[in-house]
Amino acid sequence: MNGAAYFRPEHWVLAGVCVITAYLVLPPLYSVIQTSLFTTKLTGELDEFTLRFYGDLFRELQVIEPFLNTLYFAVGSALLATLIGGAVSWIATRTDAPLRGLGYFTAFASFGTPFILYTIGWLLLLGKAGPVNDWLGRLLNQRGAVNIYSMGGMVFVEALLWSPFVFLMLAASFRSMDPALEEASAACGARIGQTLRRISFRLMLPAFFSVVMLIFIRAFESFEIPALVGLPGDIRVLTTAILLDAQRMPPVYGRAGAFSVLLMLVVAAALYCYFRVTREESRFHTITGKGYRPALIPLGRWRYPAAAGLLLYAFVLLALPFLIILWASLLPFYMQPSIEALAKLTLKNYVVALHFPKITDAIKNSILLGLGSATAVMVLTTLASWILVRTKLRGRWLLDLLTTLPLLFPGIVMGLAIMRFYLIVPIPIYGTLWILLAAFITRYVPYGIRYTHAGLLQLHRELEEAAYASGASWLNAMRRITFPLLTPSFLGGWVFVFLLSAKELSMSILLVSPRTQVVSVAVYELWENGQVGELAAFGVVWTTILVAVAVGYYLFARRYGVQQH
Amino acid sequence: MKAKEKSSLLWACAILMATLGAASIFAAPSRAASVEEIALMKGADRQKILVEGARKEGKLLWYSTLIVDQVVRPVKEAFEKEYPFIQVEFYRGNSEAVVRRTLAEYQAKRYDADLIDGTVSPVMVKRAGLLQRFYSPSLADYPAELKDAQGFWGATNLYFLTVGYNTRNVKANELPKSYDDLLHPRWKGQMMWSTSRGSGAPMFIGNILNTMGPEAGKAYLQKLKGQNIAKTTASNRQVLDLVIAGEYPIALHIFNHHAYISKTAGAPADWNPIEPVTATIQTIALAKNAPHPHATMLFLDFVFSERGQRVFQQASYLPAHPKVPAKQADLKPGAGRFKKAFYMNPDTQFDKGNEWVDYFQNQFLK
Repeated sequence: MNGAAYFRPEHWVLAGVCVITAYLVLPPLYSVIQTSLFTTKLTGELDEFTLRFYGDLFRELQVIEPFLNTLYFAVGSALLATLIGGAVSWIATRTDAPLRGLGYFTAFASFGTPFILYTIGWLLLLGKAGPVNDWLGRLLNQRGAVNIYSMGGMVFVEALLWSPFVFLMLAASFRSMDPALEEASAACGARIGQTLRRISFRLMLPAFFSVVMLIFIRAFESFEIPALVGLPGDIRVLTTAILLDAQRMPPVYGRAGAFSVLLMLVVAAALYCYFRVTREESRFHTITGKGYRPALIPLGRWRYPAAAGLLLYAFVLLALPFLIILWASLLPFYMQPSIEALAKLTLKNYVVALHFPKITDAIKNSILLGLGSATAVMVLTTLASWILVRTKLRGRWLLDLLTTLPLLFPGIVMGLAIMRFYLIVPIPIYGTLWILLAAFITRYVPYGIRYTHAGLLQLHRELEEAAYASGASWLNAMRRITFPLLTPSFLGGWVFVFLLSAKELSMSILLVSPRTQVVSVAVYELWENGQVGELAAFGVVWTTILVAVAVGYYLFARRYGVQQH
Repeated sequence: MKAKEKSSLLWACAILMATLGAASIFAAPSRAASVEEIALMKGADRQKILVEGARKEGKLLWYSTLIVDQVVRPVKEAFEKEYPFIQVEFYRGNSEAVVRRTLAEYQAKRYDADLIDGTVSPVMVKRAGLLQRFYSPSLADYPAELKDAQGFWGATNLYFLTVGYNTRNVKANELPKSYDDLLHPRWKGQMMWSTSRGSGAPMFIGNILNTMGPEAGKAYLQKLKGQNIAKTTASNRQVLDLVIAGEYPIALHIFNHHAYISKTAGAPADWNPIEPVTATIQTIALAKNAPHPHATMLFLDFVFSERGQRVFQQASYLPAHPKVPAKQADLKPGAGRFKKAFYMNPDTQFDKGNEWVDYFQNQFLK
């Protein structure tokens, strides 16, 4: 290394990535730790140092049932989501089954549906009085064959909610598979199943690790599904107590803080192990200097069963809940599907939903924020992943940790931290869209990093080295080689972050101002006070807009990405 | 060269400071009256002074927990029609967000908010010492339970929490009419309530403990616990919708006007009061360092007046003013369907609420 090396542009870019990441993540991190260690006064100022919240948490952990329930829920959801999303993404990306595009559309559309609506859709479908139990009851002559208010119901809904994430992530990895290894396996006489098990899945270990870890953590700390689906069936999880703390006046966030600090330690350990495993990065290279476009695997007579699988996925994940939502949106009040109800169909709810005042401003802001945060997150995490995968800096796994931690910040605590930060520091973005953008980028960096990290691990160093050898600068090599080859991961992550940010509520509700309304907050009151039909009508409209943007972007970007080669 | 630059910079600073100093001297007389003086002002020329001050202020900012579409906007429009020179801006959030935002802004010495409303949020801000007492003439017509004794808040509208039920699944002769009726074995596993502090199970518990007294109340709640009431974090409105869908026959503690709205739309839903009915109060209050005190006082006068209360009435809300009936009159007490209501004082709710949340958590959650 000579002195001139310090002025190379990549050093500035990379230093910039580290500084921006630290700037975004450290203030809320500090705030979460502080929340877990101090009581607060009525005015919101810190009061006394305490270990009480950790004490409460450990006492809670000693009660075996909530802990086991949480564990079952998290493991079950992670495995089921990975299984469903993985199988569908393999069929959609690697086989010659018909209807492959359906997988993408299903993933976008189901994930675009507002969360509470999606869950209520399932409650109406699988509830005691719902059509599924009705039909099953007639068929089996037994009432209440399916009980959604159970652990099974919780796992089922949570897994379905996360399967689009798995789908997009694994689809990106499958698309970047090295065909040579699979062909070698096939040439040795291995059947499809053996090749999948011994070759494909092993190569995709980083991607699998990413999805399982992320869903496990999200399910472990989530309270939405456990509260809406589990609580009516008296299933208690670790977050139930935290949820009720927030009902106190003044609300207590200490236990939530302690819980997330504890989870951070667990995640730090998991990431460290992951880092050790993927250090031998060459094991996962699938995109090398040789041609890499994976061949589609001919399924032969399994083509149609595979297509049927895709249809089933689309039917269960999208059509069923969406149809019940559409049904609810067309009724003056909710009725179970019946001939009698058909006579009452009306568009009245759509009139209410579309006349929502100033909703066009909110839609514009939400879409702007979605575009901005998705792009910023993916650019930032692509560069961060490059540092993690390509450089030999010591302690670079800390950057990985830093980009993953926001996953564990409780939404309200993070929103408060960001609000306080910009009220104090002299950067005048409080009350503007920029504060929301900063919050969203921080919140969704963990998803971006998992997409780009898994994607970059598959990319052999030799491609970039060839560019350098041909005299390309670092920027040129990134622009012409690395970014285009990362397109599938980049796109998958982009769409996912876009859809996530359109739904964000817990931080937005604190950070919006009279002039920067966003959709999730504007319709929050519908969530709370709207009849299910009005909520459903708005959900249908909003989902349609989101999916149109996501599909449009996807088609545009994929075409653009392909033309680069 | 350098020295020259330095000296010109010094000059610029000096001139700037002198200008600012002069400006603040000239600006001082217009801020003579403090927020407190304006808020507590009485006398014949009160209206005139408020209007004059409000003309200069030109706007106000309202931190609201009310529904924008249903009531915030109609109130804003009616007020702006009366005072065309004042523009009402609002920020809308749940009570947690409204409180957190106000406290964080005050901690950073940023005084944006003029008004704060909610069922409990104003009291929380009051306890933090960030509200200003005020005088508004129309509040003289309100009963004691609908205004703060110290003058920190007044009520704009009321909520009544009653049993809601599916008329297809609950026979008229089986309809629970008393608290003891809820203990009937036929309702075991058939009722649902929300965990919400402000309107769900904790409020029900508070009403029972207050009405029956701590001992009899707890004895009753122990029996109720045996009924295995389903709990959810869904809002009261969603609980009622699940009841309409047939998931559970009875919603234990929902807003009576929601059931009325659904019934009017033709849904198999109705409400039934069990006396005393739990009543919560939507209050509105003035921020301590409100930046637009004149305009805000005019606004408070307006919402408490009969004319302002009629805007709430037209929006199908239940007006707090004793002389303004509800659009559907019998949703309020003394209009045919029920007489006795237990008005949950916001201070009581603040002080006792945590006990009720704890009781719910310890007794009703497995």
